Amino acid sequence: MIALWAAAGIALALVAELALGRLLPGATRYVDFLYLPLAAYALRRSQRSAMTVGCVSGLLQDYWIEPRLFGINGLVKTVLGWALGGIGARFDLNSLAGRFAAGASLSLLDEGLQAAVRRLFSDAVAPVSPGTLGGRALAGGLLAAGVLYIVNRAGSARRKPAAPRRKA
Amino acid sequence: MAAVSPARANALLLGVMVFAQLLLLSASVRSGIASNAVAGAAGTASQPAVAAERSLSAIAMSIVHFFRDLHSDRTEAQALRRQVDELKLREARAGELLRENERLRLLLGMRTDLVPDATGASVLTASLATQSQSIVVDRGKDAGIREDMAVVAWGGAVGRVVSVERDFARVRLLTDPNSGVAGVVERTRAEGMLVGRGFEPMDMLYVPKFADVAVGDRVVTSGLDGVFPRGLGLGRVSLVGEPIGASKAIRVEPEIDFRALEDVLILKSPKGTPLLAPEAVDSSP
Repeated sequence: MIALWAAAGIALALVAELALGRLLPGATRYVDFLYLPLAAYALRRSQRSAMTVGCVSGLLQDYWIEPRLFGINGLVKTVLGWALGGIGARFDLNSLAGRFAAGASLSLLDEGLQAAVRRLFSDAVAPVSPGTLGGRALAGGLLAAGVLYIVNRAGSARRKPAAPRRKA
Repeated sequence: MAAVSPARANALLLGVMVFAQLLLLSASVRSGIASNAVAGAAGTASQPAVAAERSLSAIAMSIVHFFRDLHSDRTEAQALRRQVDELKLREARAGELLRENERLRLLLGMRTDLVPDATGASVLTASLATQSQSIVVDRGKDAGIREDMAVVAWGGAVGRVVSVERDFARVRLLTDPNSGVAGVVERTRAEGMLVGRGFEPMDMLYVPKFADVAVGDRVVTSGLDGVFPRGLGLGRVSLVGEPIGASKAIRVEPEIDFRALEDVLILKSPKGTPLLAPEAVDSSP
């Protein structure tokens, strides 16, 4: 059942990512929807599930939008899933501020790790402006906080027992 | 045997996953994404989600276009009426110029079919991240698309095809840090190589420091890279800095807004159409 939910989450994030690329391509500079399932599993489940979800979502992202290095997003998201899963196991990040911090730091670390892996494979690396980094961190943080809040609310509503019927 | 702690087991799993993905990366660098079995599996697994996304995006696009068209219809009709009057006047003159052009072409032995063989394609999705800028178009092997074909839009160069699947192709944009295209300054014919820098203006490298280049100059493709035909717009010079070594430091703002791309043309052949047919170039005095 957990695997099914993970697959559904990754599929939804992929749909959102590809639709954003078609409808509002400029926004892909700041927003990466495929971090959401990773953050959700790192904060709510285990380190191992975060790594697996990160790996799968990254590889799917690579297939659709990476022109040369197939596996770069898979690698980066696996490492970030491990890191966030480890931090999530030690500290309670399942609050609004924690989710924001998780989303923002994932976006920032992604830029750094991507640049490092590209250098490793002799790819040219473009300069990143502080404005772009700030925009990515803000967008990532807001997205993680907002979407994970909705997911948590939906989850708790599903688990809430039905109200007892009134007696006539 | 001592039990392995969960943290150690996860670290071990991380090591295995990282190693496996480094192998994948090496394989894709060596032989391309299209020939990668894992990539094929990823593509097959994501097909249902992508099919749903295409349908939803098509509906969203048609709604956006409907409202945009509704707004612009009235002003467009007035502008078109004026244009029709102007065009009627121009048509008479253009006919005369066309006949003169044909006569001169025959005289010089130039090719008359300068329009390259091309296929129209729609942009399925775009990724404009800092380190990787690409689009995916809805034409692939089935439509005769191959790697290294040039992609253009409205007279300007967009990028080139880097990998092809059965029904779509990935295109690396000119602004991608790993793209390179041979360019020439239209006014002075100073040649150089344009290299993408993500969201920053492109670098024009290897332009001699004594070359005459000024801010505002238009840069077009030179055709020397064997991918793009010459004369396609690349951008305008936005900065001419102090020379670095023997070369000028030049920045070029792209001519095309890559955020607004919806349809493109993929040039199938010929690569770098020469303006003169070989038999027309007569070296004898």
